[in-house]
Amino acid sequence: MTTLSTHTTPSGYLLPSIHSAPPFFTQQPNPITQAVVCEQWTKLILSYARFKKLFVLRVEDAETLGGDWDEILRNERINRKLSAPHLSSIISTMVTKNLAAYEPPKQTRSVLLYWRQPEEWAEVLHKWVSTTGQLNTILTFLDITEPPIESPLTNLPTSLLKKAIAILAKTNRAQLFGIADGEGVRFFASK
Amino acid sequence: MHRLGGVGLAAFDRHEQSKRSFAELSSELSHSQIENLQAELTQFRSALAHFATTHRDSIKSDPSFRHAFQQMCSSIGVDPLAGPRKGGWWAEMLGLGDWHYELGVQIVDVCVSTRERNGGLIEMTELIRLVSMLRGVQGGIITDDDFTRSIKTLQPLGAGYEVVHIGGRKMVRSVVKELDEDQNTVLAVAQDAGGRVVEEMLVNRKGWTHDRARTALENMLLRDGLCWLDDQDEQHGRAYWVPSVMKWDV
Repeated sequence: MTTLSTHTTPSGYLLPSIHSAPPFFTQQPNPITQAVVCEQWTKLILSYARFKKLFVLRVEDAETLGGDWDEILRNERINRKLSAPHLSSIISTMVTKNLAAYEPPKQTRSVLLYWRQPEEWAEVLHKWVSTTGQLNTILTFLDITEPPIESPLTNLPTSLLKKAIAILAKTNRAQLFGIADGEGVRFFASK
Repeated sequence: MHRLGGVGLAAFDRHEQSKRSFAELSSELSHSQIENLQAELTQFRSALAHFATTHRDSIKSDPSFRHAFQQMCSSIGVDPLAGPRKGGWWAEMLGLGDWHYELGVQIVDVCVSTRERNGGLIEMTELIRLVSMLRGVQGGIITDDDFTRSIKTLQPLGAGYEVVHIGGRKMVRSVVKELDEDQNTVLAVAQDAGGRVVEEMLVNRKGWTHDRARTALENMLLRDGLCWLDDQDEQHGRAYWVPSVMKWDV
């Protein structure tokens, strides 16, 4: 009997056993089965993204060898790979479920992954600002996404950062304004 | 000679009197018999209660003991699984009815949670493995026999829970769906091949026509959700995988 077992990738990520099932890489003609396949892929993509701190997934990632996503979009041990149309359909389902957003908008080839929802990022951001004693100071986006000491926000895409700031602004915990060379933001303590 | 019954009026009195005495005697006798029986029953009950309390834990934890106990019960015509309603004094004393219901609930749990990926058909060994994982170490060892019994208790639910034999293996079906003969054959072939079936296997091994093989496989794929498609198969391009006979290390 074929045993589908878990596998640890060179980067240390533990692949679920379903990843060693050959039909997992095929878009299923039965809609109920495909829903299962898609759900499993969604879980896998988000968990891998969180593990490797990846924020962007492109349909092309299914076709390019040597990319960030090779470890999960391909399985060399059973010689299977996810096809671009299949990945595109998974991505579209993820967007419908608000687990990803097309970025830039008005195209469907690339998404921003929400392994943390923008609301969660807003809290992470506010917590980081207050614990590092930067409340009430003016920060640039670069100060936040490329801090001297690595933080959970390091490399956060600007679009996601803007969404998080917008969420904080609604509760008066952040204020966005133009500065000499771009945009600046100031955070305030929670009331 | 003076006959006991006698003749004349006095005989009636005597007759009545003896009748009364007999009646007294008989009621006395039956009274003592009932008392005896009650005493025996009490003794039997207390013996059973004693048995139940001393062996309850081993019945629940030791599969061979449980099997022997169940055989003993069936030989004396007692159903230890008779629920609390059906005179389940036994069940109450042993908690065995509950034990089986509990197992039944866990079986349903596993069947339902794996249904989407296996189409409502799961191999017995796999079911046992998953239920055992659910119960944890303290659950003790559970056998094939226990599962078969528990699945029987699930039958009144009408959800189709049944043990079916496919290709010499026991499988548990959890959907109201009759498997036709062709599907049984496909499942048996898949079992031998570790889950993978292609048209050619059915043509070569079972002498089917390509049409028959394709129809059976496509029905299982599209209509029943019993198998998954693999369109990257190295040899045939299109292979069908039956998840219920694949072993999932989840």
